[in-house]
Amino acid sequence: MEVKKSIFLIALLITAFLLSTILLLGDFLNNERKSNVEERMEIISDLNDIQTFSLLSDVYGNKLACLAFKSKLADWDKTLWNLGLKLEQYRVATEEFQKDPFYIEQKKKFNENELLYMAFLTKAKNECNLTQNIISFFYRKSELCKKCDDQSFVLTDVKRMLEDQVSIFSFDSDLNITSVQLLERYYEIDQYPCIVINEEKFCGIQDRNFILDKLGYTE
Amino acid sequence: MNLLYNIFLYSLWFLSTYYVVVLVLIMLVGRKNLYENRKFDFKKEPRVSVIIPAYNEQGKIKFTIKSLRKVNYKNIEFIIVNDGSKDKTSKEVKENIKGDPRFLFIDRKENRGKAASLNEGIARASGEFVATMDADSVIEPGIFYKTVPYFSDEKIAAVTVSVLVKDPKSFIHKIFEMEYIIGLSLYLKVFSFFNGIFVTPGPFSIYRKSIIQNIGGFDEKNITEDMEIAYRIQKNHYKIVNCLEAKAYTILPPTFRKITVQRRRWYSGALHTLSKHRNVLANKKYGAFGFVAFLNYLLIFLGLLLFLSTIYLFGSNLLKDLLHLQYSNLDLWLRLKSMEFDILTMSRAAVLGFVSISFTVFGLIVGLIMTRTDVRNKKLGILGYPFLFFLYQYFWLVSIINVIGGKGIKWR
Repeated sequence: MEVKKSIFLIALLITAFLLSTILLLGDFLNNERKSNVEERMEIISDLNDIQTFSLLSDVYGNKLACLAFKSKLADWDKTLWNLGLKLEQYRVATEEFQKDPFYIEQKKKFNENELLYMAFLTKAKNECNLTQNIISFFYRKSELCKKCDDQSFVLTDVKRMLEDQVSIFSFDSDLNITSVQLLERYYEIDQYPCIVINEEKFCGIQDRNFILDKLGYTE
Repeated sequence: MNLLYNIFLYSLWFLSTYYVVVLVLIMLVGRKNLYENRKFDFKKEPRVSVIIPAYNEQGKIKFTIKSLRKVNYKNIEFIIVNDGSKDKTSKEVKENIKGDPRFLFIDRKENRGKAASLNEGIARASGEFVATMDADSVIEPGIFYKTVPYFSDEKIAAVTVSVLVKDPKSFIHKIFEMEYIIGLSLYLKVFSFFNGIFVTPGPFSIYRKSIIQNIGGFDEKNITEDMEIAYRIQKNHYKIVNCLEAKAYTILPPTFRKITVQRRRWYSGALHTLSKHRNVLANKKYGAFGFVAFLNYLLIFLGLLLFLSTIYLFGSNLLKDLLHLQYSNLDLWLRLKSMEFDILTMSRAAVLGFVSISFTVFGLIVGLIMTRTDVRNKKLGILGYPFLFFLYQYFWLVSIINVIGGKGIKWR
C-alpha cells in the first residue's frame, strides 16, 4: 500500500482542529470563570442590606438592627469566604501564559468589600454583643513573603474547623488599596505575614494551635 | 518556569498528536490491507530454518519446542543453540526434541550472547529463509505458510508478525498486553506501509538468509540485535514488512522488577543502536525510515523532559503543601475532607491532558477493533493503558542512567 502525501496534510489539519478546540474550550472555561466571579461579586457588592441595617440602627436603635444583622451574618460570611477561595482557584486555573488583569481588578474589589464588611462586623460586634471572632490577615506575594502562603494555609484550616464561628479577612498589601493601607497604618503592620486576632496583633507565622488558643478553642 | 513549561507542553502535545493522527489515518485508509492473507503459491516449499538461542530457559523452552513440533510446514529444520546455560536447559531440550528429526541441537558450554548464537545457527542453517525465535515464545502451527509468501518480492529482507502476550495474569501484564497488540503488532503493520519498521521482534521474525549474510549477520556487540539488524536492513535499502495475521506469543517476565530489567536492556540497546546508526536520523537517503526514527526518538526524549519537569513542578508543589502542614498539626484529613470538584477549576493544560488521555484510549479502541481483538477480558488492560506513558518514562530514565553510567548489560 502506498501512503499518499495528502494523509500528512489531513493529519495536520485534524491536529490543528483538535488544538483549536482545546484552546476554544479553554477560552470558554475562562469566560465561565469570569462570569461566575462577576456574579458572586455583584452579590457581595450589594450594600443595600448594610445601609438598611445602619439606618434601622439610627432610627429604631440597636436592638432591631442587631436582630436583623444576626440573621444575615452567617450567610454573608459564607458568601464572602467562598468568593475569596474561588477567586484564587480561578485565577490559578486561568493564568497559563500571562497574568490576567481581570483577577487583579476583582481582587481589589473583593478586598475593598471585605474591609467594608469587616468594619461593619466590628461595629456590630461591639454594639450587638456578638461573640463572633474576627481575624484580619495581611500578606504579600510569595516571592516577597515566603511564609505568607503558609499562614494562608493555616487560616484556611482554622476557617474549615470553626466555620461560621470565625470571620477571616485577607488583605493583599501588594494591591496598594488606600483603605487597606490605612488599616495597616492603624495596626502598625511593618512585617508580613501579620494577623490581627480580635484586635490583638501577631506578626510572623502563627501555627494552628496558637490561633485556636487565642480564639479560646483548644484541640 | 510556568510560561516555558506551558509552551513546551503545547508544542509537544501538537507534535505527538500529529504523529498519532498520521498513524491512525494510515491505519484507517489501509484497513483493507492490514490482513493481506497472501497466497502460498510456491511450486516447491522453500526451506526454512528456525533458530532458537537459549540461555537459562529451563521450565520455559519445553513449551517453545512443543509449539514447534506442531508446525505444519514440511521443508523445515529447528536449530536450538544452547548459549552455555547454567541450569537444566540442555537436559530439557534433549528430552523434548527426542524422536523428531527436524531438530538440531547445538549444545555449547560457553556463553557468547544471543547475537553470536543466532549467527552460529545461521552458519549451520540449510534454509533459504531463517526465522529467529526466543526460547520463551510460542508460535501458531501455520505461521510459515502465512509469512513465507511475502518473500516473493526479492527486496523483502524480513517479515515480522503479530507478537502477543501469552497468558497475561497480573494488572501490569494486562497493560503490556495492550502495548503488544498495538505497538508490536498493529503499528508495525502501519509502519510497513511506508517502510518505517525499526525492529524485527525477537519472539519471532523471519529473514532472507542471503541478505542477512550479505549485511554481516547479527551484531554480536549489540544487546538488542533485533533492532540493530532492522536498522542495517533499512540502511541497505531492503524492505521489512509485517504479516499481521501470523501470530507469535511471548511470556512476559513475572514481576515488575524483572520487566524493568528487560526494558532496561531493550532501551539501553536502542540507545546504543541509535548511537551507532545516528546518520540515519532525518536523513533523506533512507526515506521515511530516517524520519520515523528521528520523530520516535525526538518524542521519547521530549516526553521524558516533560515527565521530569512535571514531576519537578508537581513535586515542589507537593513539598510546599507538606511544609504547610507542619503548622497545621499535619492534619491532612481536614484538607481531603473539604476538597470539592468544580469543573471551572480545570485549566487549559488540564483540558489538554484530559483530551490526550481520551485520545490515547480512543486510539487503543480503534486499534483493538482493527486487530479484531476480543476485548471481553481486556477491560483492565484498556483502563490501565494510559499509565504506559509513565511506565515508559520510568524505563527510559533507568536506561539512560544505565547508559550514562556505562554499566554493561547482558542479553539475559
